Amino acid sequence: MIPLITSRLAQVPLILVAIYTVTFVLAWLIPGSAVMTDPDKIVSPEVLAAAEKRYNLDDPIVFYFDYLGGVTGVNHIRDRIAGSENPGPALDFGPSFQYEDWTVNDIIAASLPVSMTLGITAIAIALFIGTSAGIAGALRPNSMLDLSTLSIALVGISLPSFVTGTVLLIVFPVFLNIGSVGSWGSPQDIILPAFTLSLPFSAYIARLTRLGMIETLSADYVRTARAKGCSPARIIYKHAFKNAFLPVISYLGPALAFAMTGSFVVEKVFNVPGIGQHFVAAVLNKDLFLIMGVTLVFSTTLVLLNLAVDIAYRFVDPRID
Amino acid sequence: MKRRFAVLPVFFVLGVLAAWTLGPSSRAEPDLRIILTNDFFTLDPARMSYSHDLRLSYAIYDTLVRFDNLGDFSVVPAVAERWTISDDQRTYTFFLREGAKWSNGDPVTAHDFVEAWKRMLFPETVADYVGLLFDIRGAKDFYGWRTAQTAAYAERGGAERNAQAAQQLFAEANTRFRETVAINAVDDHTLQIELNQPVPYFLDLCAFGALNPVHRATIESHSRLNPDSGLVEMDFEWTKPGVIVTNGPYMPTEWRFKRGMRLEPNPHFYDPDTVKSKIIDFIPINDQNTGVLAWKTGTADWMWDATVPYLAELKEAHESGDFPGLEIVPAFGTYFWSFNCRPELVNGDPNPLADPRVRKALALAVNKQLLVDAVKRTGERTSTTFIPPGSIAGYPSPAGLGYNPELAKQMLIKAGWEDRNGDGIPENENGEDFPTIDLLYSTLSYHEDIALSMGTMWKKALGISTQLVGKESKVYKDDIVNGNFMMARGGWFGDYGDPTTFLDLHRKENGNNTRKFYDSEFESLMEQAAVETDPHRRMELLAQAEAITVQEQFPILPLWTYTRPMLFLTPEELAANKDLDRNAVTGISTHPRLVTYLHKVEVISRDELEPMENPAQ
Repeated sequence: MIPLITSRLAQVPLILVAIYTVTFVLAWLIPGSAVMTDPDKIVSPEVLAAAEKRYNLDDPIVFYFDYLGGVTGVNHIRDRIAGSENPGPALDFGPSFQYEDWTVNDIIAASLPVSMTLGITAIAIALFIGTSAGIAGALRPNSMLDLSTLSIALVGISLPSFVTGTVLLIVFPVFLNIGSVGSWGSPQDIILPAFTLSLPFSAYIARLTRLGMIETLSADYVRTARAKGCSPARIIYKHAFKNAFLPVISYLGPALAFAMTGSFVVEKVFNVPGIGQHFVAAVLNKDLFLIMGVTLVFSTTLVLLNLAVDIAYRFVDPRID
Repeated sequence: MKRRFAVLPVFFVLGVLAAWTLGPSSRAEPDLRIILTNDFFTLDPARMSYSHDLRLSYAIYDTLVRFDNLGDFSVVPAVAERWTISDDQRTYTFFLREGAKWSNGDPVTAHDFVEAWKRMLFPETVADYVGLLFDIRGAKDFYGWRTAQTAAYAERGGAERNAQAAQQLFAEANTRFRETVAINAVDDHTLQIELNQPVPYFLDLCAFGALNPVHRATIESHSRLNPDSGLVEMDFEWTKPGVIVTNGPYMPTEWRFKRGMRLEPNPHFYDPDTVKSKIIDFIPINDQNTGVLAWKTGTADWMWDATVPYLAELKEAHESGDFPGLEIVPAFGTYFWSFNCRPELVNGDPNPLADPRVRKALALAVNKQLLVDAVKRTGERTSTTFIPPGSIAGYPSPAGLGYNPELAKQMLIKAGWEDRNGDGIPENENGEDFPTIDLLYSTLSYHEDIALSMGTMWKKALGISTQLVGKESKVYKDDIVNGNFMMARGGWFGDYGDPTTFLDLHRKENGNNTRKFYDSEFESLMEQAAVETDPHRRMELLAQAEAITVQEQFPILPLWTYTRPMLFLTPEELAANKDLDRNAVTGISTHPRLVTYLHKVEVISRDELEPMENPAQ
């Protein structure tokens, strides 16, 4: 266990530097100027030159290493050693071009917890709905119940969130007067977006659970358990579910990473101040620092959660090592 | 048993996160709630360029002078209680009121304005609107001088760049500013400005939100000199509530990124009785569909910009009485299509649009009313001029040219393009077909529909073919800057109340003249107008100049005056809709300049409405 964790942790920086480099190259190649944001107005050449100089945009090499130094904390340590009175934040993701009064650190600090709350809630809902529907379907394959959960799951996967989200908004706050539109401040505000976000995940989990359960329920050891007179509930939860759950666990890592780093569409429809919107908006605005910042946060989350899944595997199934 | 407790940490983490992100629950009820599409980008007036930022600027800062925005839009006193203009119209002296104070109690002095404008003139501030100050004597030179000064510093060897050298550089710049730029604080309450030449709209500029004063001590304590580059760097913590010091009717007391801002009255504002709404909440809702739903369900009283894709349907519903609250007001801007005026296209081919007669023919063949009625469908006013008629007092807009496909055909023949072989396509005298016109636009908007419709009109009236070139907006902008287009969609909003805010776009040296239009007669009229001291005569010269561009030369094809759709209930609408359980809003300016002073905006509940209603009946 320990060697696995250390070797995987050792890979993390290499993976992140590779991601950083690829993101940097792609972001740099986005056409247009990063500092000119208004499509109809052209800033005077003097102002443009001043802005590009201010942010090292006139030299990709300087920008690459300077920013790398900022996000890894090297600049901070260097400033500390040099005895600077104002060494800046330890990990510096730089300024935002679009939101001029905020740094990317501010933006991530404000929006990542929001997305994490929403994402964890959504995955919790998805686990509950998905596993219940999956088990129910697996107990009587091809029954009405099974077919209807499968069809609902199909709808859940196929319907884009901007449709389900908008429908939910119109049904609940607008017609039934339950909850409010576009606000984020009270606990009930989380329900509709979390439910919308959970739908595709619950559908997928339902299908994974159903398949796994059907397979394990027909396994020899389950038959043995039945023969020795185990109660059906005990067979399902104690014997079958644990094995059937394995594919769900491997899916949970990336699912959690995706859910926690926000969904552009769900955030837009429900006006959730999360981090997901920045993945799209930052690219459209060529907000270089923000692009790099959110990409690094997302990849770090993904890498760490995949590691967590690998460790969780070993707890659930001792045969793996 | 053990496993059952394993879920506890998960709930704990969830609870902590929820408590952290869902925020405070008990706070005072706001008087006015406003939905905006984007969160504010910056609270630093010098760096503002977006209209929603500028609106906030008018609420938290107080300008030298202000517009009478609910009246005739003339300039009225604000921080400056009076001013004098010298006989040669080049020296402006502003006398600041004694009682003006910052939100921390400090007096607002002439030095605050000097400091704010000086900051704009430092290139590293990256002030988009620095050009507005370039009419002041010495300002433009100073900007260039400071650019050169820091560039030379960056060239120095590493040992010669240190904190002390940067400090010296900064001191030099300050001395230079004091000696060469004619922005002077004569005393604490007298500000004197000297211009290069008379600028008839200078007072208008002084009322502009980007030229607001800043609190000197706050700026100083959040600036630092970068010893490596010699540049002044700002820590933008200074714009955050609790740190920021403002001199307007309001001060921000809460600002959470993308979650909203709260304004409360500045306790030291000199005229507290004029502040109608005490607490204002801004709710940023990025998706305008969601914004409209939120407004409809009563989340806010006023939505600043309701440019939804289904605006046409919303407008219909409004007109039939099903959707009270939609107000579409004309804006200070024009939607147009640009003609590339360069003799050659980027690929080296000759540009048929370089001939003004061809441009005129194309302009005459567009049925603008049909575009507005059948394609755009949101009730814009078609325009034959670049400057929205009636938006600038005393400006006699030229007539421009209407729709006339017959005349269009004749113009094209005059330009040498005639259908000589009977195939319906005009040829030149060498028998070459008129080339297909590329129509460049940014995607994800109505521009494509407009391009398609205009293409059909030209095909029908003139036999000219077109091709749609839709590009993502950054790529579109690159093409515009590089002149890689034949015709391209464009738009322009005026910044100040003078025709030059539009017409300068056609000047030879203007950076926004991406069409590379040049006409000697137009240039000379603009130059004459620049030195003309009789305001009436000056307006006439400018109107003559505009006439050239919209009757003969056509660097652009103006289509309509932009509008701004807003959502709020007028008191009349509230009175007429007895079943609505919400408030009306008054004090919102519908003047095309769209300058709104939030302290004049007032929310009126139904209870307050009833007594008002009776005398009217």
